[in-house]
Amino acid sequence: MKRALIVAIDLVIMGLILFFIVQYANTKMRESNESVIEAFGKMTVTAEQIITNYLEDEQHLCDIWTNFINRSAEAGEPMTAEDAISYIRKAKISPSIYGHLIFPERADMSGISTHPKATGSDDYRVSYRNINLFDNLSEVSSVDGVINLTRAYTNPQNGVQSIAFMNFVTILDEDSGELKEALLMRVEPVSMLEDKLVFLNGDYESVEISIINREGDYVVHGKSLKNSNFFEFFKSYNEASAEEYNKTIEQVTSGTGTMSMLNSKGEECVISYTPLSVMKSWFLLAYIPAGELAVNTVVDWLLLGIVVLGLLVLLAFNLLMLMFYNRKLAEAAADANQANAAKSHFLSTMSHDIRTPMNAILGLNEMVLRDSRDEEITAYSESIRTAGKTLLGLINDILDFSKIEAGKMDIINVDYSFVSMLNDLVNMVQGKAEEKGLAFNLDVDRDIPMILNGDEIRIKQIITNILSNAVKYTKEGSITFKAGFEKIEDKPDSVKLKISISDTGIGIKPEDLKRLFVAFERIEEKRNRNIEGTGLGMTIAQSFLMMMGSHLEVESEYGKGSVFSFELEQGVKSWEPVGSYEDAFRRSVSERQKYRERFIAPYAKVLVVDDTPVNLTVFQSLLKRTKIQIDTATSGDECICLYRRKHYDIIFLDHMMPDKDGIETLKEMKEITDTPNGETPVVCLTANAISGMREMYIKAGFDDYITKPIDPDRLEPMLMQYLPKGKIAPAPDEDEEDDYFIPDFIFKLDELDVNSGLIHCGNRESYMITLKMYLDAASKNAEDIEKYWAVRDIKNTTVKVHALKSTSRVIGALKLGDFAARLEKAGDSGDTATLDNELGELLARYRKLAEELAPLNEADGEDADDGRPVISKKDMNEAYAALSEFCASFDYDSVVHIVESLGAYRFPEEEATRFDAIKKAVDNFDYDLIPGILSGGEDNGH
Amino acid sequence: MKNRIRRIAALLLAAVMILGLTACAGKKKSAEFKPALSKDTQCSLKVAGSYSNFEALESEFERFYEYYPNASLSYVYLDDYYNTIGSAIASEEAPDIFTTTSSMLSDEKMNTLFENAENLADPALKIDLDCIREGAMRTTANGEVLMLPIFTRTYGMLVNMDIFEKNGLKVPGNYAELVETCKKLIAAGYKYPIMGANGTTVAGMYYAFAFPMFSSTVMKNKDSLDALNALDSSAGELMRPALERLKAFLDAGYIDPAVCAEQISDDYNAVIMRFFEGDVPMMLGGGDMVSGTAKRESKSEAFTANPFKYKFYVVPAGDEGGYFLDTVNMFFTVNKNSANLDMTNEFIRFLTSEKELGNMAAIKRLTPPTDDFSLDEVYSSLEGFPKERTFTSRETGINDAVNAEFRKATYKIANGEMTVDEAIAAFGTLNAK
Repeated sequence: MKRALIVAIDLVIMGLILFFIVQYANTKMRESNESVIEAFGKMTVTAEQIITNYLEDEQHLCDIWTNFINRSAEAGEPMTAEDAISYIRKAKISPSIYGHLIFPERADMSGISTHPKATGSDDYRVSYRNINLFDNLSEVSSVDGVINLTRAYTNPQNGVQSIAFMNFVTILDEDSGELKEALLMRVEPVSMLEDKLVFLNGDYESVEISIINREGDYVVHGKSLKNSNFFEFFKSYNEASAEEYNKTIEQVTSGTGTMSMLNSKGEECVISYTPLSVMKSWFLLAYIPAGELAVNTVVDWLLLGIVVLGLLVLLAFNLLMLMFYNRKLAEAAADANQANAAKSHFLSTMSHDIRTPMNAILGLNEMVLRDSRDEEITAYSESIRTAGKTLLGLINDILDFSKIEAGKMDIINVDYSFVSMLNDLVNMVQGKAEEKGLAFNLDVDRDIPMILNGDEIRIKQIITNILSNAVKYTKEGSITFKAGFEKIEDKPDSVKLKISISDTGIGIKPEDLKRLFVAFERIEEKRNRNIEGTGLGMTIAQSFLMMMGSHLEVESEYGKGSVFSFELEQGVKSWEPVGSYEDAFRRSVSERQKYRERFIAPYAKVLVVDDTPVNLTVFQSLLKRTKIQIDTATSGDECICLYRRKHYDIIFLDHMMPDKDGIETLKEMKEITDTPNGETPVVCLTANAISGMREMYIKAGFDDYITKPIDPDRLEPMLMQYLPKGKIAPAPDEDEEDDYFIPDFIFKLDELDVNSGLIHCGNRESYMITLKMYLDAASKNAEDIEKYWAVRDIKNTTVKVHALKSTSRVIGALKLGDFAARLEKAGDSGDTATLDNELGELLARYRKLAEELAPLNEADGEDADDGRPVISKKDMNEAYAALSEFCASFDYDSVVHIVESLGAYRFPEEEATRFDAIKKAVDNFDYDLIPGILSGGEDNGH
Repeated sequence: MKNRIRRIAALLLAAVMILGLTACAGKKKSAEFKPALSKDTQCSLKVAGSYSNFEALESEFERFYEYYPNASLSYVYLDDYYNTIGSAIASEEAPDIFTTTSSMLSDEKMNTLFENAENLADPALKIDLDCIREGAMRTTANGEVLMLPIFTRTYGMLVNMDIFEKNGLKVPGNYAELVETCKKLIAAGYKYPIMGANGTTVAGMYYAFAFPMFSSTVMKNKDSLDALNALDSSAGELMRPALERLKAFLDAGYIDPAVCAEQISDDYNAVIMRFFEGDVPMMLGGGDMVSGTAKRESKSEAFTANPFKYKFYVVPAGDEGGYFLDTVNMFFTVNKNSANLDMTNEFIRFLTSEKELGNMAAIKRLTPPTDDFSLDEVYSSLEGFPKERTFTSRETGINDAVNAEFRKATYKIANGEMTVDEAIAAFGTLNAK
């Protein structure tokens, strides 16, 4: 596009230069032509002079003849016609000149000639009967020197085109003896006149001289002038209106000049004309082709051609150079793009690689924080949370910066509570400030409107950055956060928010101020080497402010402190003043609660796919209290398998997985038609948090995406959004788990990992129930195994060992579970030797654990009337129906889950037996018994 | 399938043969002129004639210059041509080519003229006389060709095609149709469907109407020709069919001699200008009348304002149709004493082709002496005219005296001065009276 523009401009300049040259050359040529035409006109005047001289001379000779004849008459000795002709015959020198003596009184205008007829007879008579020549005889002057000339006509004696000079003479009529007047004609061939003009051809090769009379009839006829009449000729070959035609006649017959016209071939020619000074009715025309006069053009065209060629060469050269440099630039740009792409790739990789383990760290830490009662551990855990969040902050800074750089950072305005934002900020910074022994002062205008409209997240980020810096770079003294506002006159629905943060920190040197906003620059690197940060904070803050039409102002005195401030226009949604922030803050603190699940959804089913098992654990743990049923898969293929046969309400699918990544898996899933999950939303799990990712995932077919480490505050609302509304129930009011008692001796059992058991069971209560079930089934199971093994029933022995493995793992008896797993494997492979050797030990450890757990049964008796709610009949019937359905579809996982869930309720006495039977059947993996138990119940019920 | 292939092959073969034939015919028709002399030959040729203006010839000069750019040809109009051409040929400035007419051949005064004429049939000159139509050629008793026909003319009428089209009429093809057409035209408001110059000249309307028919009668009665040419009064009967046909037509009122005499003052300019008024469906006259139309279209205010299409037709005076009387209007004769005889012959050789003669005729708006009438659409009706009703004045053998007698007879009958019978009885003495 740019090249086309350059070429266009070049061509325009070339055009202008050529235009100028052509105009200049034309002007010069016109001037030159004008002078040439002027010279040609002068030549015509010269020709006229020659003709005039000739005519005067010839008339003079005619006058001499006349005078001689007339003097004779005057002297009384008049000549007869014969005498006069004889005299003329002697007097004339040229044989081609004829003398005619015509008697005007004769009707046939006859007379005698100096020459006989050319046909050879001796006939000297001449007749003008059929030649119309004497219409104006009365005008023939007898004054000497006055030219009396006929038109060009055919000499009747010799048939030659001629002109005749005339005079009247007085002669004697032989018959009557009286004097009479006769017309003396000196007849000359027109060719004699033409010969006089031959000399002119030297100067102008193609010039043709013609003479016309007033009517336009030719006297002398040039070769190129067609027709017998010049004006007719003009009319025939030049498209002229009657007016132009008459004007041309007028022009040619009224003076000297030149004119251009087309000849019979349609070529331009120049006619120069002038009247003969002695013959007012004759006009001399000089004809010449226009081409012969315009001789100077060749040089100009040559010049023009060379200039055009030169300019074209220049243009071609310029284009070549332009292409050459463009190619170099393109290469450089490609290199730069490649580097940038490498950077983006690095950022994305780093983001993924750091955020993935961060997910595990922060998620598991969250679990620790939630579950731990040990203050020391809680404190460590808090430190992990703080450090993790700092690290996440650094990563987020880099990601934000890359987004800004790529121009993909958008400002998204939402309604937000100013107080809430303030809370977050104060919460974040107050602790840090206190830790460093800094005073944190708040000065918030109590009239600031409560609900504002703006990009809350970015504003928070800006202030956080400034506040963090203030804390980081202040060793002692205070940090003051000031928030004020100002109304805007023209905009009644907006205010100008004024934020300033002052500290008594190290301050910034004036020369360092401009480096403050340069990316990755850290001021006084050496002195601040212990302070963590990317050097991006201020750059990001400044960029955000600029995107919001503002900027950050800094006042600083080195060694004394700095003031960072900015003003920001924000929409106002509620003018209710925030009031005293201190009160509001206190109020909000008191309202602050420990983590609580937002909802429960025990019948909702979610599939989570991630190649990292710990991430799956974190995910399950985070949602444990929502009671959602969670299936996990560690590969795309496993996911597809489940996707085909089991219905889920949401599927969380990791992007980065070995073999088949999330996008490929999703693509395959979308192609599957025989699935109960046609409508199931699929959310992308990703550690890729850099710009443009959301669009990419939506485009790839995901319904949404959530970044790792998973933020519970994002996850739960997302679930609420996508889960069927019917499966969501409000979270129960009381916090059962925290209060549910786990006896101390349980924690002290070597075989048990309580935490693991808690994770598997979801909460303390169900853990306790599971433990009791485990205990109840223990003796029978042990006996069954012994019994089967005694008859070497490997198959059933293995099934039972498998069950032992699973149940042991569920309660956190991990080592026992592993032991059982080993023997299960041996059973599967028919390794009877191992079973012979080790089965005894397994059962011994199993029975030992059961013994250790025995106190639970004692406690059970005491707590028979526990605090569990009694299940409603409706819920119970629904649960039974679900169980029946899952059994029919062999979905025993769901059966187990429901039975576990039902453990949270007390059953009425008449149903308690049936439920215990179901529980036992589940514990013993006798799922096929369940429909029977249930139907018995129904029968009973009816 | 086989048949189909055969049929296609046959068709292809036929197409090839037709193409071959047309190629041969084309070759014969327009042999391109090839200069026989050096291209640089310098010379000056003069053509003398009686036309005051001869643009058609000047156009040929220009075309000739394409082959001989250094040649210079000019046309000279001679005053009193009949009397001066003889002297001119004898003079030092004798023309190289001069125009002649049929009547000059029989004029003894002109004998010297033809004594100086080049025999154009001389095979050495390689002049393609085959392109001239037979009736136009004049060959002497000993087989010499001294005159090259340049223009021919015939007699008939100019037809205002727009009037015919507007009234849904066809140009009549025979006498019955002519009468019918005149009736319809009168009914359509054209009071005078046919007009012309009321005179005794060959350009007059009676000559155009009746003379071709008279010629056809003579053609059928060749044994009476000698008596006719000797003005034997008994031969006057030969005029009867033509005179009676004219009389009948006049009596029917389709021509009004008085009105024609009043509105048309001469047989050339006035006839043409009257025709251009646009209200005369048919205008009787000769080829010269047609020739004059080209230059007069722009001179007629009526025609410029309302131009119309017109064509020339012979008058359908006979029961079976009209008669195409073919007359040569002008010949070129070469002065065998020409100082540039080679180049003069070269020019005549150049000119003697359908193309060049056709070009000249088109400019002059006369018919060419060749068979090709296609160059000027105004004469297109003559193309392929039935041979049995086509004859030349040479074929009829009618001499000038008879011609003049006939003209007089028609005029007198038309103007009520004589009856048909009286005119026939007075044959031989009509002009004397």
